[in-house]
Amino acid sequence: MAQHEVEITIDRSGEVKVHVKGAKGKACLEYAKWLTEIVGKVKSQELTSEYYEPEVKSRIELREELKSEE
Amino acid sequence: MSTVLILTPVIISNLPAIAAAVAGAAAAMGLVAKESVKGQVQQAQQQLAEVEQAVSVELADSEVLAQGVETGREFVLTKGEVELRVSRDERGRCVVCAKGKGHTKAELKQMAEEFTQKMTQCFVYNRVASELKNKGFQIVNEEVMEDESVRINVRRWVD
Repeated sequence: MAQHEVEITIDRSGEVKVHVKGAKGKACLEYAKWLTEIVGKVKSQELTSEYYEPEVKSRIELREELKSEE
Repeated sequence: MSTVLILTPVIISNLPAIAAAVAGAAAAMGLVAKESVKGQVQQAQQQLAEVEQAVSVELADSEVLAQGVETGREFVLTKGEVELRVSRDERGRCVVCAKGKGHTKAELKQMAEEFTQKMTQCFVYNRVASELKNKGFQIVNEEVMEDESVRINVRRWVD
């Protein structure tokens, strides 16, 4: 189980800042897309280092493949 | 961290959701809300037209869906001598009109703009809170900051 956290700040004019934490790669983009559909239009987006880290599920699959090769 | 996203709100909704945002903004700004039909407002407007200033502000990215919206229906809010009317124009956009005695056009415009901002914030909050709940997020913390922004921290466990 992985924990996904999102911090949403709605400023006084209604502009929304979304900070997705814990979700990596594709999962992170899925949250971004989902929240964009809810709120409106993307003004800016910044991908941080965690985005490029592999998802936990992928790591487990890799280990299994290595074992099967042995 | 993984991503930081800045989103500009677009209000496309039906009347009940707009009404909830209007009510939220009215409560936050100390306005008294009452519904009115356009005919009554027009009559009152004609009587007061000579002594009152009036300013209209349109929500740039807004669209009130016609479904379920009665023709001429609008929300009338009052605070002291100022009256704010929220309605749907011919193009379907949400318009806030401020009028009142003893205020300049600049003051009325500022009030209308403050209301549209607060209404937009309430609309976005209601929508986001509802969708987060549907998605299975748990609200960990929620607070109103000094600059009147609302911060919501949510968490979700996934397989």
